[in-house]
Amino acid sequence: MHAYSLDRPERLRAHLAAQRRLYEVRPDCQGGQHWQTVSSQDRHAFEPSSELPPFSAKSFFFGERELLFRFDGGQFYSALPQVVPQVLFGLHACDLQAVAYQDQFFAQDAHYQARRQATLLVGLDCLHSCNGGFCSVLGSGPAVQAQTADLILLPPAEAGADWGLLAASAAGQQALHGLDLASAHADWPAQRQANEARVRAEQGSQEDIIEGIARLNLQAIDDSTWEALGLRCLGCSGCTSVCPTCSCFAPLDRAEGQGGALRERVWDSCLYQGFQQEASGHNPSATAGQRVQRFWTHKFGEDFRQRFDSYGCVGCGRCDRVCPGSIGVHGVMHKVVQP
Amino acid sequence: MRVVPSICSFCGVGCGIGLRVEDGRVIGVEPQPGHPVSQGQLCAKGWASSFAIDAHGRLTQPLIKEHGQFRPASWDEALERVAEGLRNAQDERGPGGVGVISCARASNEDNYAAQKFARAVLGSNNIDHCARICHSPSVAGLSRTLGSGAMSNSIADIDQAELILVVGADVTENHAMIGARMLRAQARGATLIVIDPRRTRLARLADIHLQLRLGSNIALLNALLKIILERGWENTAFLAERCEDIAPLRAHLAELSLAQCSEQCGIAVAELERVAYLFSQVKTAFTAYGMGITQFQSGTNNVIALSNLVLLCGQIGRPGTGINPLRGQNNVQGACDMGCLPNVYPGYQAVADPAVRARFSTAWGRAVPEAPGLTSLGMMHAAQQGELRALLIMGEDPLQTDPDQNQVARAFAALDLLVVVELSLTATARQADVLLPAAAFAEKDGTFTNCERRVQRIRQAIAPPGLARGDWQILGELARRMDYAGMAWRDAEAVFDEMAALTPIFSAMNYPALDAHHGLQWPCDSAHPQGSPILHQQGFPIGRARLLPLSQVEVAELPDAEYPFAFTTQRLHFHYGCGSMTRKSPLLERETPAGLLFIHPEDAAELGLAQHQGVRVRSRRGVLETRIEYHDDLPRGTLSMPYHFSEAPCNRLTNDAQDPISKMPELKACAVALEALAPGQAPDIHMGTSEVSHARL
Repeated sequence: MHAYSLDRPERLRAHLAAQRRLYEVRPDCQGGQHWQTVSSQDRHAFEPSSELPPFSAKSFFFGERELLFRFDGGQFYSALPQVVPQVLFGLHACDLQAVAYQDQFFAQDAHYQARRQATLLVGLDCLHSCNGGFCSVLGSGPAVQAQTADLILLPPAEAGADWGLLAASAAGQQALHGLDLASAHADWPAQRQANEARVRAEQGSQEDIIEGIARLNLQAIDDSTWEALGLRCLGCSGCTSVCPTCSCFAPLDRAEGQGGALRERVWDSCLYQGFQQEASGHNPSATAGQRVQRFWTHKFGEDFRQRFDSYGCVGCGRCDRVCPGSIGVHGVMHKVVQP
Repeated sequence: MRVVPSICSFCGVGCGIGLRVEDGRVIGVEPQPGHPVSQGQLCAKGWASSFAIDAHGRLTQPLIKEHGQFRPASWDEALERVAEGLRNAQDERGPGGVGVISCARASNEDNYAAQKFARAVLGSNNIDHCARICHSPSVAGLSRTLGSGAMSNSIADIDQAELILVVGADVTENHAMIGARMLRAQARGATLIVIDPRRTRLARLADIHLQLRLGSNIALLNALLKIILERGWENTAFLAERCEDIAPLRAHLAELSLAQCSEQCGIAVAELERVAYLFSQVKTAFTAYGMGITQFQSGTNNVIALSNLVLLCGQIGRPGTGINPLRGQNNVQGACDMGCLPNVYPGYQAVADPAVRARFSTAWGRAVPEAPGLTSLGMMHAAQQGELRALLIMGEDPLQTDPDQNQVARAFAALDLLVVVELSLTATARQADVLLPAAAFAEKDGTFTNCERRVQRIRQAIAPPGLARGDWQILGELARRMDYAGMAWRDAEAVFDEMAALTPIFSAMNYPALDAHHGLQWPCDSAHPQGSPILHQQGFPIGRARLLPLSQVEVAELPDAEYPFAFTTQRLHFHYGCGSMTRKSPLLERETPAGLLFIHPEDAAELGLAQHQGVRVRSRRGVLETRIEYHDDLPRGTLSMPYHFSEAPCNRLTNDAQDPISKMPELKACAVALEALAPGQAPDIHMGTSEVSHARL
């Protein structure tokens, strides 16, 4: 992994945007932040917020609504997306960890892979914890792990100083071709460690999360606790929509023309009562409590951790923010530990 | 991917959303972080918005019915047909022969255009909308007691309340972001009290749930008033400074027996005392209510009874307090504010006031009508009598959502011309002679007003499908064909500016100011340029507030030997109104219960009904077949149905007995009989529909 010194991240951004469609998180006029395209001519300073955008990079690869195939009455036509080479600029460690998780889940999915293969990922180390984040206790941040990104931006601890830039993959190294970069100062690993220590301290001990994971895996949480949580679940699908690792989808079929049809897939949510209902009417997760339990088992269950080599939760805290029932990750883990 | 900031089009909460646009279509939505109402969250309906406005299944061109079949037509031909039909009706019956039913889902601009079209072009005050069947009793009741029918406080006041009282509202399901806020308030220490005949989610989570007998609100509220006065728990300072003499109320309550009130509402005296004590003694109590107060023939009196309680304890006019009707539709507040009511112009300026009429006549360049107009139910009756000949309906589905479906069908059948402006082919749209395709909220600019009087911007994110157009544009073009040039606005902002210039409570509002503040709450004028989050802080619009003596009014139709079950209606978290939008989501549609008649499991057991067994439900007005679903939210002896599903339209059963003041029909209570279908026999969804399906063939 080669380390460079970078005077201005905007220079790297302009370089990458010249060859690819580049996306960066920018504020809107109403207090939100969104992934938006930025041209190579864009002069705006790269000033990443320490707060995460409401949406991770998930929808870039796992389409929120996408056409899978078209049927004209006789033949099926594939509808693989045509994706121009693109770059996501400034992804935080947690969101990159989630992409790595979904890369495994969708390894055989042509639609996902068509989008994913066309994408260069530029990570960004966090200097400070976001509000509600707990990546440091799950091992998913705050430093970007090399295997999850193509390039990694290391912001300077003091404004105005040079940035660091790590080439974390062959594609990342190749993307730097033609950009004049000096080698990094020797102290960049120490700076990363200092960042990690700072964020870890800001995030605190997160005892509820640690104890909650242990109790969940010991199956030490009784049904009544899950049902009490289930009563607060409105089934809104907010948590699964913003969760960067949630991967469930449902088909949406529509008639088109004479005897033809379109099949889309749309994001689904396992918190819906109908998600697992069978044609007979039988439902393995009939109660709201059972559905809440299943969701969190997918996020923190040891079986899943072993299969994917990481938890299904990356510690971003987005579910805490969108849950109207106050049973996002911290809400649930608190009640699980102190029912 | 672009994200266009807008406002959710489901319910009156008015949550901030971002429309996620890709390749010219909305593929999803996201909550707006930091929005003052929704605080970065949404309910299931909001998250599913993209399906609701999908181009698939939308009307894309004008349709004209010939020999019972729709055929495509150009805008020219369709609008010419409409103009001619309206002229004929006017010629035959005068301005009273035509009417407009506007839409609580359309924008303020659309609604302003609708009432202007009715008054300036058709010369008729026959303009109404579905507020008639949700909160007309709030407007009528609170006008009498306070002088203003809107929420007195803001949603954010929940954060400051020590006690939250919810009466007849299923808040976590129907106004989910308000329900969520109430639960957060409870978690930080507020006391949550729910008064509801159903054991709703919020009732289960509440500190106290009073499960009153269906339709006994006044008895329960009178009991609380009586206890408070007898114990001297009333707010004497507030009553002395802000209210008219309460001697008549005191005298009336003294005559009542607490034991009898308790018996009428089915709540023990000790429980009533506990609630009376808490509500009167906390510093700040936020009161919210819904259809469980208003949809009765005693609707206006129910509102007044609740207003009495709030006033007696001085729980109004301060942060964290207030009397707060939770409005159903995304812009029902706005449709009322815009004057889509037969008796008021925009901003509640009375039609009866000659100075107001003179002002609008001058501004619009047309003599405006003096004769009071008809309500929507009045228009239905007038149509059946042959007095109303032509009706224009914008985006409402009265055939499914109004009481006594067969009566609505007969009204439609009697018309010479029914024009429907719609997104998709609803039950009402099928009955139209001319069907005009409308643009959905993501396809136009404009404003919605939420239940806390906050006017918020919606922004065009995508083009309308096919030839669809915004309602105000359709009406403007129709006006031009009827020789009125005063509705040829350049854009939505021009409509808003015209409205604001004529409406004192909106006088300081304009699009840039709305953009800058996440909307503004009326009244917003030179004295309140930042809007008014809390009303009645210094005085009431009528000066001193009034507490009025009331007696319990029984529901019009109680269970008897022939119709032994009490019957009520409700909504589900996953669906909205007639379902025309939410049912397009494959995910929400999948949540629809297999049985749509909710019954207490013990009642079902007594009748030997298996889960999801088919049943025939009969009232004095109609019959339908559906399946049962066990539900212990309900007390024994009471059945309930959601009204979202055209397969089982519960409003074929409901009673149109009306509140004499507001004309609100008694949708929340009637009596039905239940008959089991043979085990395994599927319900016949066409059972009882003959009148409806033949209405306009």
